[in-house]
Amino acid sequence: MQMPEPDQQIIARRESICAALAKLVPAGSVVSSKEGRRAYDADGLSAYRQLPMAVILPETVEQLAAVMKYCHAEGIKVVPRGAGTSLSGGALPLADAVLIGLGKFNRILEIDYANRCVVAQPGVTNLAITHAVQDHGFYYAPDPSSQIACSVGGNVAENSGGVHCLKYGLTTNNLLGIELVTIEGDVLRLGGKHLDSGDYDLMGVMTGSEGLLGIVSEVTLRILQKPATQRALLVGFDDTGAAATAVGDVIGAGIIPAGMEMMDGLAINAAEDFVHAGYPRDAAALIIVELDGPEVEVNALIDRVAGIMNKAGASSIKISTSEEERNLFWAGRKSAFPAVGRISPDYLCMDGTIPRRRLPDMMVLMATLSQKYGLRVANVFHAGDGNLHPLILFDANQPGELQRAEDFGADILRGCVEMGGVLTGEHGVGVEKRDLMPIQFTEDDMKQQQRLKCAFDANQLLNPGKVFPHLHRCAELGRLHVHKGKMPFPDLPRF
Amino acid sequence: MPTIQNLDDAAAVIIDAQQNNHRLEVRGLGTKAALGNQPDYDDCLDVSAMQGIIDYQPEELVLTVRAGTALSVIEAELAKANQMLAFEPADLSGILASKSTGTIGGVLATNLSGPRRLTAGAARDFLLGFDAVSGRGERFKSGGRVMKNVTGYDLSKLICGSYGTLAVIDEVTIKTLPRPETSLSLLFGCDDMTSAVAQIADIFASPHEPGAAAILPQSIAAAAGLDMAAAMIVVIRLEGIALSVEDRVAHFRQMGQRDTGRVLGTLPQAASESLWARIRDVDLLAHAGGDIWKLSCAPASAPAIVAAMEQSFETAYYADWAGGLLWFAGPSGTEFGTALRAALMAHGGGHAQLLCDRAMSKNSVPVFQPLPPAQASLTRRVKAAFDPLGVLNFGRMHNGM
Ligand SMILES: Cc1cc2nc3c(=O)[nH]c(=O)nc-3n(C[C@H](O)[C@H](O)[C@H](O)COP(=O)(O)OP(=O)(O)OC[C@H]3O[C@@H](n4cnc5c(N)ncnc54)[C@H](O)[C@@H]3O)c2cc1C
Repeated sequence: MQMPEPDQQIIARRESICAALAKLVPAGSVVSSKEGRRAYDADGLSAYRQLPMAVILPETVEQLAAVMKYCHAEGIKVVPRGAGTSLSGGALPLADAVLIGLGKFNRILEIDYANRCVVAQPGVTNLAITHAVQDHGFYYAPDPSSQIACSVGGNVAENSGGVHCLKYGLTTNNLLGIELVTIEGDVLRLGGKHLDSGDYDLMGVMTGSEGLLGIVSEVTLRILQKPATQRALLVGFDDTGAAATAVGDVIGAGIIPAGMEMMDGLAINAAEDFVHAGYPRDAAALIIVELDGPEVEVNALIDRVAGIMNKAGASSIKISTSEEERNLFWAGRKSAFPAVGRISPDYLCMDGTIPRRRLPDMMVLMATLSQKYGLRVANVFHAGDGNLHPLILFDANQPGELQRAEDFGADILRGCVEMGGVLTGEHGVGVEKRDLMPIQFTEDDMKQQQRLKCAFDANQLLNPGKVFPHLHRCAELGRLHVHKGKMPFPDLPRF
Repeated sequence: MPTIQNLDDAAAVIIDAQQNNHRLEVRGLGTKAALGNQPDYDDCLDVSAMQGIIDYQPEELVLTVRAGTALSVIEAELAKANQMLAFEPADLSGILASKSTGTIGGVLATNLSGPRRLTAGAARDFLLGFDAVSGRGERFKSGGRVMKNVTGYDLSKLICGSYGTLAVIDEVTIKTLPRPETSLSLLFGCDDMTSAVAQIADIFASPHEPGAAAILPQSIAAAAGLDMAAAMIVVIRLEGIALSVEDRVAHFRQMGQRDTGRVLGTLPQAASESLWARIRDVDLLAHAGGDIWKLSCAPASAPAIVAAMEQSFETAYYADWAGGLLWFAGPSGTEFGTALRAALMAHGGGHAQLLCDRAMSKNSVPVFQPLPPAQASLTRRVKAAFDPLGVLNFGRMHNGM
């Protein structure tokens, strides 16, 4: 992975930059020692590590804005960091950049039941939002598996999903407002406690922008009432194709389950060894379907779903009759990553999406690739929305295996795009999939996205080297060949 | 007027306009031409020929269509598979005096969303991807044809509600949802706006899944055929399988008997559907006279905003989105809109848009909420990133961009 060439002149000024930054924040908020910085040298994609030039931990929006203003004026690059759980290297430091950690923005500012929303600082964890409102029966719907650790600011930056986003949407669908600090140090408030504004949806593009457009310094999140009942089915299939068809049949019958997850044989057995959830070990595929809502509705739909599954050729069906049993069904799925971690020294977690009907083709492709690369792959899917999480098993201590695993992953993602899907469903591009972007996008597609970037960050100081494989200067991107064109925006810099 | 068949044609027209210092008005069926400002243009770019359903996979919940496809065609196709556009786009042809509901491209460009926006999301939440030509005259695409995708910036959000000022779109992929098997409405009577909003807050603090919530003042309700002895009528829509809807009605009937409101009755499916269509289409203010304003606000602020307006003006109004969407009919001219925006600002902020301008008030009052300075300059830079010469719908949203 080639990162942009670090600017040695900036690195040479490290001491004075740290001293200048220290004046902008309370004592002890700049981490400059090597040991101190070591704690920030990677995010959840731990195969990539880099010591940041400096780490700064501001506490207020004013301090954050001052830090941004200073970095902008001095031409210093900035990498935002929430909890550092990104699986795509979005928060990977750069040797010549200041890492801005948002860990001290850890307060819930307002719980507003009348407007059914929570206003929080970006460093608050995802699960803390639900904890703050659950006494009143409310919860925050997007539930990434990392929810005890990941920050809501990071959720906005990655547009994170979870197992329930089939019915309740991703972060973007549950976000009402943000406060944004631009690289120039301007503070903008977009959205609020109301639903829609009639402006350009800048909050919408900020969501999922992976820290490249600005720093989110406050969020307003929609909260919902917890459903009255939740029940789940555990369904085994002898054939993945039949399982994939069954998932489509459920949705085709007009039922949108709260979640619909699938696991393949290797994942089933790894999970079963780990948590003993009672999964059918001999099944080729396992589907967990969760239904939620009023009790009578859930009970009626459970029967319908069971009927559909039977008709589609299920080899086993279990229906949860208690909360303990439902939680047990989920326990295997939720521990799938650590369970796979037990059967292999290392694994890479991929995250492509395909049109669901192509799942059987994808299974064939993965089997072929597994042979070709000599590496095993375990699969967990968000089956309802076609989001795949193949886990490629490898051993980093074996020379060349990491590279083989990465090539295997790249081939899977190439397959996703060829089948009409995309490179990433919820983990983001970051550095991990940066160089694969041309598989999905043409040079012109990417240039248009980068022009948007230039509107927010003309000097490209925010998180450079992420998402886009080629950095173009904004002046070059903005060039337009016109013979005798007029200039309707004479006051704007021509980037 | 150039009529284009595809995006390559569009690119050619745009480049031609650039070379000739011309600006273009992007036009579908023209049913929403009255929304926003009249752009500054030399030529029209007619996109209505880019029609047709390209792919529809009900069990994948995705529909790919060309942007010039009539909304009615799409809705008929979805109905065949018992599905719908869950954001429930309004038919504004009544109040805008236009001929039809227009095209899907127009709906997306104006981010037009109806009562189910409250619980299901807006048009912007359902656009998964698109193909377009920018104001630079270059083709690009964004998003994809699958439901879950975070690859690159989410330009779908930006395109929705940009009133054709950034790019001309052709193929769009939209997420569809199953149509609920049954629906009905439950009516509550409340003494004033404050208790109506409180009643709704109570309802949404229950796990009984209200799907839409409107507040109709007595006279507005009466004109819609609901003759009820209550100052405010709260209309709650419940959707789902019949068993579930009945069950939830029973629960709500129990909770209705408190100080905030009382249950007045239920509206069966057909009556409920036609009432919600009138709420959605702003038909309830069609005969009110004056301008029509659309206000997006924090739901709990609705009573204070209404009180402030009623104090100084003769106005008709009603609320959707649990109070978070206020429709006002008020006197034409500058004062009403200015007062509305002041009331909005005093009560938590939001967005006020002059939707139906019966007396050319838009010459004296901005149609869209004026932007704070930092957001205005960022908005101008975003416009310039897609359309540096201001070729597309220049001035449609804001002056000088
Ligand atoms: C075990 C595990 C399970 C996971 N499961 C899921 C899952 O189910 N679904 C899912 O979607 N993801 C999942 N993830 C990925 C990850 O948790 C999410 O992407 C999460 O939203 C990242 O949040 P964070 O606070 O850790 O952000 P970080 O990792 O710190 O940062 C992520 C990106 O956001 C930027 N950023 C962070 N904070 C801000 C801010 N305030 N303003 C602007 N930019 C910012 C960073 O620069 C970086 O580019 C999982 C990760 C792990 C380790």
